[in-house]
Amino acid sequence: MIAIRGLEKSFGAVQVLHGIDLDIADGEVVALIGRSGCGKTTLLRCINFLEEYEAGEICLDGQPLWYRPGPDGVRRRVPEAEARRMRQQMGIVFQQYNLFPHMTVLDNVVLGPRFSQAVSAPEAEALGRRLLARVGLEGKMSAYPAQLSGGQQQRVAIARALAMRPEVLLFDEITSALDPELVGEVEDVIRSLLSDRIMMVLVTHAVGFAREVAHRIAYIADGAIAELGPPSEVLDRPKDPGLKEFLRRVRG
Amino acid sequence: MPAGSLALLTQGAVVSLLLAVGAIAGGTLLAILLAAMAFSRFEVVRAVYRVYVYIVRGTPLLVLALILFYAMPALDLRTGPYIAGTLVLIIYTGALFAEVFRGGVLAIPRPQWESARSLGLPPLAMFRKIVVPLVTRYTLPSYVNVCVMTVKASSVLSIISVWELTLAAREIIERTFAVFTILGLAAAFYFVMCFGIDRLGRRLERLLALRGFAGVRA
Repeated sequence: MIAIRGLEKSFGAVQVLHGIDLDIADGEVVALIGRSGCGKTTLLRCINFLEEYEAGEICLDGQPLWYRPGPDGVRRRVPEAEARRMRQQMGIVFQQYNLFPHMTVLDNVVLGPRFSQAVSAPEAEALGRRLLARVGLEGKMSAYPAQLSGGQQQRVAIARALAMRPEVLLFDEITSALDPELVGEVEDVIRSLLSDRIMMVLVTHAVGFAREVAHRIAYIADGAIAELGPPSEVLDRPKDPGLKEFLRRVRG
Repeated sequence: MPAGSLALLTQGAVVSLLLAVGAIAGGTLLAILLAAMAFSRFEVVRAVYRVYVYIVRGTPLLVLALILFYAMPALDLRTGPYIAGTLVLIIYTGALFAEVFRGGVLAIPRPQWESARSLGLPPLAMFRKIVVPLVTRYTLPSYVNVCVMTVKASSVLSIISVWELTLAAREIIERTFAVFTILGLAAAFYFVMCFGIDRLGRRLERLLALRGFAGVRA
């Protein structure tokens, strides 16, 4: 499980996260919703330390991540090698896919296991083929990212994240950059992952999809969790006036 | 055309090409090291990089060559002009290549770094699998540019008595006074070498511009 306590993050003088507390249970899917600029993406990026944060703690299965108190009591970043090991327990999928353009689809997926986890080449390749088949791209193994549609690229990105056998998957608005007709194929892949009972945190604007897959939804406003609960509460009986307004807008 | 001059010029051209190849190879290695320094965590290391590039880039190659030529015997390094000549070319191209590579690293989009980091790639794999392939593709045209320039810059070494194409041409002219014939021939030799490197570069570009990789050919 993941335990986030008192997370605070600023960009320069602007504080974007004001003490976030959030627990994610094993196998739980949590969706983060909120207006753009509310801090939901920053929260996600703090979880796997693509962003540093000034205060607070993130624990994975009781193990504190990213910072540790020094002898003087002041917290310090963990050494880079340790941060790398911690990152391997998480997979992230970005809005813009961010595949490596100079590698084939299969190489993109194999890279992590092969070089971060020292999995043997044949084993990593077998894993890559299995995962690409799972996201429905067995025919595209030797294609390059630029030859694929956005939806296909995003499915490769999901396979790449899965290849690390992560305990948590982080999704950062992964359907926002897609043409509407391609959103479904990516959402189908996420649906198929639900049976794996892997922890997932998804930042999304697709409230309908969040209702369908998330066990709990966190509405974030001004860098704090303003409302948290199962979709039936947060989406159907919102209490926060900001959330009511937000839902009115996204539902049009 | 004066007898035997074509053979001499050909020999001179071979020497020029060898000098350039040595300088490109040595300069590339030096530049990788320098570019790594440019991205060091330590300000001192970055400062050393900047000072090196400023000095080398801000000095005429001719002056650098003369300094090294006179300094090496003074340092009791009993090396001929060829060693000094190659060394000065390496020092010079090293600075130019380093800036080319630095630009290439800066051109790697932030999301690519983030993808690599989120996979927990160790530094060596990051360098081999992400940085080198991307920087190679981004910088190939400007890299070839410096290579071509190096071939021509090697002519400066004739001043410090490195016998290469330009010095060969000058010797022949002193004997024969066929100024324009010989200089025209020397220019043609330089052109052929540079043109060859250009074609090689284009070919490499095509090879690396794998299907779909952003790299429009001119």
